[in-house]
Amino acid sequence: MAGSRSGRERLRAERVARPLAGFATAALLVVMFYYPVGTVLGEAITDGGLTLAPVRDVLADDFYTGAFAGAIRSPGSIPAGLAGWAVGSLADVATAVAGLGDTLVSPAAAPGGVVGWPSAILAAVVGVLAAVVGIAPGFGLFGFTAWQALLSTVASLALGLPGAYVLARFEFPGRRTLESLTAVPFVLPSIMVAVGFVAAFGVGGPLNRVLAALGLPTVELLFSLEIIVVAHAFYNAPLVTRIVAAAWESVDARAVETARSLGASPTRAFRDVVVPQLLPAVATGALLTFIFTFMSFPIVLALGGLEYATVEVWLYNRVGQLDVQEAAVLAVLETVVSLGLTYAYLRYEAATSRGDRVRSPRDRERLRGVDAKRLAIAGYGVVVGLVFLLPIASMLAASVVGPEGPTLRYYRFLLQRGAEATSAQVNPALAVRNSLLFGVGTLLVAVPMGVLLALASTREGPIARAVGVLAMAPFAVSGVVVGLGLLQTLVFGTTILGYRVVVGGPLAIVAAHAVGAYPFVVRNVAPLLAGLDRRLVESARALGATRNRALVDIELPLVAPGIAAGAAFAFAISIGEFDSTVLLASGGSGTSLYTMPVAVERFLGKQTLGRPTAMGSVLLAVTAGAFIVIDRVGGRYRE
Amino acid sequence: MTEKRVSRRAYLATAGAGVAMLAGCSSDDGATETETDTESTEGTVTGTATAVPESLSGTLTVATYSSWVEDDGAAGPWLKQTFEERHPDAEIEYVTPEDGVNRYVQRKQQGAPVDADVYVGLNVDQLITADANLNERLFDSPRLSNAGRIKDGLQFDPQRRAIPYDTGYIALVFDESEVSRPETFTDLTEPAWEDALLAENAQTAATGRAFLLWTVEQFGTDGYLDYWRDLQANGVTILDSWDEAYNNAYSSGERPMVVSYSTDQVFANRYDLDMTRHQVAALNGQGYANPEGMARFADSDDPELATAFMDFMLTGDAQGEIAVRNVQFPAIPESEATLTEEFETYAKVPDEPVTFSYDELQGNVDGWVEEWAREIAG
Repeated sequence: MAGSRSGRERLRAERVARPLAGFATAALLVVMFYYPVGTVLGEAITDGGLTLAPVRDVLADDFYTGAFAGAIRSPGSIPAGLAGWAVGSLADVATAVAGLGDTLVSPAAAPGGVVGWPSAILAAVVGVLAAVVGIAPGFGLFGFTAWQALLSTVASLALGLPGAYVLARFEFPGRRTLESLTAVPFVLPSIMVAVGFVAAFGVGGPLNRVLAALGLPTVELLFSLEIIVVAHAFYNAPLVTRIVAAAWESVDARAVETARSLGASPTRAFRDVVVPQLLPAVATGALLTFIFTFMSFPIVLALGGLEYATVEVWLYNRVGQLDVQEAAVLAVLETVVSLGLTYAYLRYEAATSRGDRVRSPRDRERLRGVDAKRLAIAGYGVVVGLVFLLPIASMLAASVVGPEGPTLRYYRFLLQRGAEATSAQVNPALAVRNSLLFGVGTLLVAVPMGVLLALASTREGPIARAVGVLAMAPFAVSGVVVGLGLLQTLVFGTTILGYRVVVGGPLAIVAAHAVGAYPFVVRNVAPLLAGLDRRLVESARALGATRNRALVDIELPLVAPGIAAGAAFAFAISIGEFDSTVLLASGGSGTSLYTMPVAVERFLGKQTLGRPTAMGSVLLAVTAGAFIVIDRVGGRYRE
Repeated sequence: MTEKRVSRRAYLATAGAGVAMLAGCSSDDGATETETDTESTEGTVTGTATAVPESLSGTLTVATYSSWVEDDGAAGPWLKQTFEERHPDAEIEYVTPEDGVNRYVQRKQQGAPVDADVYVGLNVDQLITADANLNERLFDSPRLSNAGRIKDGLQFDPQRRAIPYDTGYIALVFDESEVSRPETFTDLTEPAWEDALLAENAQTAATGRAFLLWTVEQFGTDGYLDYWRDLQANGVTILDSWDEAYNNAYSSGERPMVVSYSTDQVFANRYDLDMTRHQVAALNGQGYANPEGMARFADSDDPELATAFMDFMLTGDAQGEIAVRNVQFPAIPESEATLTEEFETYAKVPDEPVTFSYDELQGNVDGWVEEWAREIAG
């Protein structure tokens, strides 16, 4: 009797649990995201009344949209303006391609004869690339921004995919730790990356010193589009690696075996069985990378310079001049691009998910041995060392070198501040504590929230797709705008019944971080959920399992790698978040809520980067440790 | 001894008010605080707050930029400590909003309480942006007994709300082992200085903005963009902030020349650096002056205390400390400020300081900067 009653109660509890969680999620999103962001973005289309004039002004501005602007100004001239652009840039490309063709067929005609042929080919290839590169700026600031984002996406895929392969298919000592650490670059403040890159790739840096020692020509990488793209890959390739590795780990081993037993070659089995199961994850990684780099800001100006400004640079500057309307228009356009891409991606995902996945992972290969495959992996290891380890080592080195040589005084400074920080000074120990608390808080909120939204978005139909698109909104809105919105609404507060209601403090920070982080969980989990074999769930339900039991016992374990990857990046978002944290930490109940990246920023000062880099190194170490712990704890539920 | 006695008396006189004030703050209600304020200042003679120090009490919230409190030997903590020693019942509390004075402009725009008494670190363009975006008063014009000491030509606010407390001059810092000393602006566009110069983004960095304005002053509004085209053709690199340009790129030897301050050698000497990399060039013998000011918020809860603090910042002692610690020139004549020998030896004043006035900049500066940025990024 008692048993059946508690069973009924549990049933009832389960029935209310999901709507309740759904309501809480929606409320959180409205308060911490849609209301603040809506207040700012609304200014793009209001000027007394509703108007489209501000949006039109931006679109019709040559500086912003280039060849597109003429078309907006006088719609009749669309063909003429765009055709002029197309003919011009195609002619450039054609000339360059013809040049390359000539060089290829006639070695002797190259300047310097046959000896100079390879370099002539190289020059011609560069010429073609330059002509192609010349196309995008034809569309103004938006064109250039999209172009550099596209290049960065390609670079991140090229650098990230081999990593996913290695992590998913090979077993080697330290693999789990390496996987845990993939999210580390994601949390590094841009000033740290700028310091690391300048030190690593600068004229007197280790790369050029090695090249010179080998008798090779040195390279001048700094203050160029190339270095921006590499820095973007530094941030985003690990994301690609993690997302794709999670999908790769859950490729059904039996399908591969079946294909092989039916006579398919390993290549054929890979192409026909593995690739289709990886593509949604690859597309997810590409989408996220594009969106993040499309809205990239501080690193662009730190490593490239103002010549390579993105839309976000202008947006930030508009906010600085308190021209909120134009900032809002730029933000709306950025968001339209990002959400448009998300929508296209979700259409694609819906069309390709096969819905027959069960989880029975394949065994990993051992990495030891020497063959072509393993040599290629070793080569990849060198590239990883160059792009990731060298800059990170350089930023660590910057924290132990003063103007007069090696020193530990920047760390002594941190200790000293930890003991005696006065009014408005940052206490590093407190920053570490705050970061970790907010990070864990974010995990506790963002992971259930993300799983819930992933479940809602993987149903069939347009509503589910709308949920899927809207779930990505926090990634698709400029961080500067989110910060401004929070400031104007929650931090400044409103007067209700004579009391000024101000939102701030630790809970608000955790909520803001969770809102910024949960899309990672959604995007890591949804593709795996969509690929699940529905029949498993249906049979479980038919056998009497409640919906929640089926979820906990069947669906979640099958998508566990996605949850783990999402959780790692959710934590990383919380640790690395700056815009909202710095605002919410200064409003409301206290000024002692700053986090590690805020401390790095505050320690920027006169004459040395020693203090900020020392704080940044603490950030790096603490975060790396936390990632390993989280993965170990999470791993218990994973196997 | 005397000070101790004064402090106890003042404490007894104002203890009640202090408690009431705290309660007012925590309830987040402006009305209570104003009441308390009137009560606590009733006993003083208006306008001569500095003359009756024992009556000064309460907490003064000073908004500023973060290096004012965080830097190695920053001026902020010294000022706080010394002021509090002189006025034992007063307390200075610094706040460092990320977006600087814009935070308060926006608060005013949105009808939120300002919650601060004094702003330290205001320059003329920020004041212009604030004025352009507000109808009501953000700052008022305090009557400082020390205002008369400020050097001629430093005052940048026609309404005397922002009071200069120090000034810097923009200059080029260069490595004499790599490039020769540039004498004129056109030198920078010559092959000898190709790929040599690092500048900062005039949209966001004070040094970058001052250098841009200097070129406008030099070449006029119809010539400065041509000059920048030549600079770009000669390989100028424009990074976002002074930190990125100076501390990161210049310090690691990426370029041999950077837009910075004429006081550069003070640091070089302090940290025992190689002076070959810390040569200071004043183009045409000039330097663009960039005075920094302080202002009292019109909504201050404690205008008397605010005035006393601002007056204190203009005393000879404080001016010397600010100059040496902030590595900028004092706002009062150098002879009246307590400067160190190091500072007097290594801080260079250009023969001819140049600058635009508030009236010349108002309505123009945003356009100049925008045109320039579009030229660079376009």
